[in-house]
Amino acid sequence: MKNNTNVFIKNRGILIFFAVMLLAPFLIGLLEGSSPAVILNNRGSMSKFLEGLGIEIFILAMFALSYDLLFGITGLLSFGHSMFFAVAAYLTGIALKTMHLPFWQVVLLVLLVAVIQALLFSLVLPRVKGVTFTLVSLGLASVFHIIVMSSDMINLTGADVGLQGVPVPAFISPVSERLRFYVIALSLLVATFLFYRRFVASPTGRVCVAIRENEGRAKMLGYNTTLFKIVVMVISSLTASIAGLLHALYQPIISPGVADLGYTVMGLLIVLVGGVGTLSGAIVGAFALRLLDFTLRRYIGESAAIITGAIYVIFVLFVPYGIIGTMNLRQFKTKQGWQRLLGLLKPKE
Amino acid sequence: MKTTLRKNSKAIIILVVIAAFLFVAARGMSGKDVIITVLRGFSIGSVTFLVAAGFSLIFGLLDVLNLSQGTLYMIGAYVGWTVYVRPDTFVDVLTPILLILAGFSLSSLWERFAKRIQLGAKPQKIAAWVMILVGFGLLALILTRYPIASWDLNNYSQSPITYSYMADQGMPIIPAEAVFQKISPFVAVIGILVTSSLSAFSIALLNSGTATTETANWRKYFVPGVLVLVGVLALVFNARITSWMYGMNSNWLFVIAILVSVISGVGLGALMETTLIRPLYSRPIYQLMLTLGLGTIGVQIVQAVWGRPEFVLPKPALFTGTGGVCPATNLADLFENHCSTILLLGGRVRVYDEIFIPIVGIIVLIVVWILLKRSRIGMIIRAGVQDRQMVEALGINVRRVFTLVFALGVGLAAFGGALAAPSSGLTPMMGEKLLLSALIALAIGGLTSFPGAALGSLLVGLIQQFMIKYGQIGIPLPFTDAVFKPSPPLVPASTVLLMVIVLLILPGGLLGTKE
Repeated sequence: MKNNTNVFIKNRGILIFFAVMLLAPFLIGLLEGSSPAVILNNRGSMSKFLEGLGIEIFILAMFALSYDLLFGITGLLSFGHSMFFAVAAYLTGIALKTMHLPFWQVVLLVLLVAVIQALLFSLVLPRVKGVTFTLVSLGLASVFHIIVMSSDMINLTGADVGLQGVPVPAFISPVSERLRFYVIALSLLVATFLFYRRFVASPTGRVCVAIRENEGRAKMLGYNTTLFKIVVMVISSLTASIAGLLHALYQPIISPGVADLGYTVMGLLIVLVGGVGTLSGAIVGAFALRLLDFTLRRYIGESAAIITGAIYVIFVLFVPYGIIGTMNLRQFKTKQGWQRLLGLLKPKE
Repeated sequence: MKTTLRKNSKAIIILVVIAAFLFVAARGMSGKDVIITVLRGFSIGSVTFLVAAGFSLIFGLLDVLNLSQGTLYMIGAYVGWTVYVRPDTFVDVLTPILLILAGFSLSSLWERFAKRIQLGAKPQKIAAWVMILVGFGLLALILTRYPIASWDLNNYSQSPITYSYMADQGMPIIPAEAVFQKISPFVAVIGILVTSSLSAFSIALLNSGTATTETANWRKYFVPGVLVLVGVLALVFNARITSWMYGMNSNWLFVIAILVSVISGVGLGALMETTLIRPLYSRPIYQLMLTLGLGTIGVQIVQAVWGRPEFVLPKPALFTGTGGVCPATNLADLFENHCSTILLLGGRVRVYDEIFIPIVGIIVLIVVWILLKRSRIGMIIRAGVQDRQMVEALGINVRRVFTLVFALGVGLAAFGGALAAPSSGLTPMMGEKLLLSALIALAIGGLTSFPGAALGSLLVGLIQQFMIKYGQIGIPLPFTDAVFKPSPPLVPASTVLLMVIVLLILPGGLLGTKE
């Protein structure tokens, strides 16, 4: 019993997040003046729009989480991470549009391909280390990007226009059943996060952290580091693929931009803003960046990318631990500050 | 015999690899096609080499993967275009930049003053930040009022495309001069100087706790003095310099354009290293991310200033002759008429793209090679690549060498950009593409090896061009009548595949050292 409460207390942050996010559409609906029933029928305009934004953020956060596991926890700097995401997105699109597979088969296929891809990267892993691995992953991903963009594949992938007109199964259609989609995406994100939390705390996860800190030493202690890296690669690839699948279902167009280096860099940026190796930083970073980008684009337009780039540089130079990392460092001081504040409010005995 | 083999093992490897490649690739092609394709490969290879060489020097000595190298290549091209097509803009911009540099180069003098000011830690910090804000704010205010003759991205007849098209046709548009209206020249000059030195002073005040003491000598005042003098002269004789540059022989103007872009590359490199890269030497991953971020910002800035559409840098007169005996069949005709093309084995070869660029590439290769092998600074760089701590322990100021190498590497990239601009055209995407080729070339040749950069770039260039050529003529498959035509996407994909294969067999690259 005691153990059970501990689990809830340990994860109270994410559980509160889950509850707030579940209630958010209804609260926004109330602000807008429509009753919960209207929201349940997907008819509130403002809340529906914000649900869409939320879904985008959840997908991004999942992608960033998988990148954080790979880069922040295990220390593998891959520049080909967007490939996992893009392969899953395109595969979903093609399987639904061209091959007319039933939905559960599509999901199975995507997961299977995710594992195969991770194993493909794992062929490379024992041979190359550090910067060379970064370059090889970049190379593999850019081959996929080139294939997607090639005019030979235009019937399947839509080349540089993107894959359009994917028939989404009616029960999670983002147009008519957006609230359901929103809840599914949110639950997947929370489940992934809880799983990652558990994974990092497990003995396997501790070895992964050891690999990041000093691979030679981990090897000397008798761990087969390559095996651990492969495990992380598979988990990360599966998560990124689920995110890609959701992306393909949600977005009307799957643009080839998701296979680009730029998409990996965005994942990196999210992880960096949130805090490298903190896991919760990925979610915070996704919220911060997507909302910032959304507002900037609304008011400034295209040149918003300059500001995003500047934020990136500022974070690298001045906030290297990211939002969550810096908060964790200051937590002790903050706790002291709160106690001092409470002490002032408390009547003296 | 054995020792000669071992001593020249690298050269032998290079020759064998290239010969094997040519032997395999050139079968089934006519002599005309082979020579054109090889020359084009050399041309692409040379440009890639200029970027890759800088990259490998920087990575070898500093351990910094400078992913903004592609962006700096692009900036070099755009700066070259500005000097060549719009000298008036260049002359206008020159004055404020020199004055700002003069203001900031006084910072070592300010540091001495700042040391004497003792306000206590917190007030000093607040005062410094307030002064930084005031300084930069006023500077921005003055600079927005400073008149600079420019182009208009929204107006097609005044866009960069039109200017370069007209210059290419030999009828350059000479735009109206920008005149001082919102601000008087005297106020502008003094204002820029004062505000920039105020900012420099406040930055020195921020750092005064950690500043090193250096004795002031006449050189400290000499550099800013010269900068101010040149800046003011450029302002006073603005109209005269502009008209002189417009009337100038286009060959010399092109040389000036390349020089300016190299200098701006060197300056940008030195600025980046001293301000942004230096604080991060203890955090290598962050350096990589920083250069990546700087690269994206650079692309956005270029898009904002020069616009998205593609345009070309017109070739100088030396390479544009037509009619008469052109295309030239021998060298005498070529030099006499400045032909744009020459006939080699019955194939038309463009002189600038396929002969001039490779020659420049080879010259740069030799010059940098001699610099590395024969000069004292080259010796320090090579020693630093091998063992940085040891060099430091021997009492050499490695920091200064770091700045120098970074500036040199970026300068090489900018040079490559200005050189390639007439043949490849200018787009904000040009850097990204080339950075990928340069990375592949380096991975093939060996990341820290200078000859490896040359070999890898050459291989990448040749493979790309041969794939393009085969895309046109097709490869007859053995035992069948079918003809395989590689489609354009296979061109970059083939080099990437080669890189992956090479790295899997030799993780250090062809000429890289073993880890």
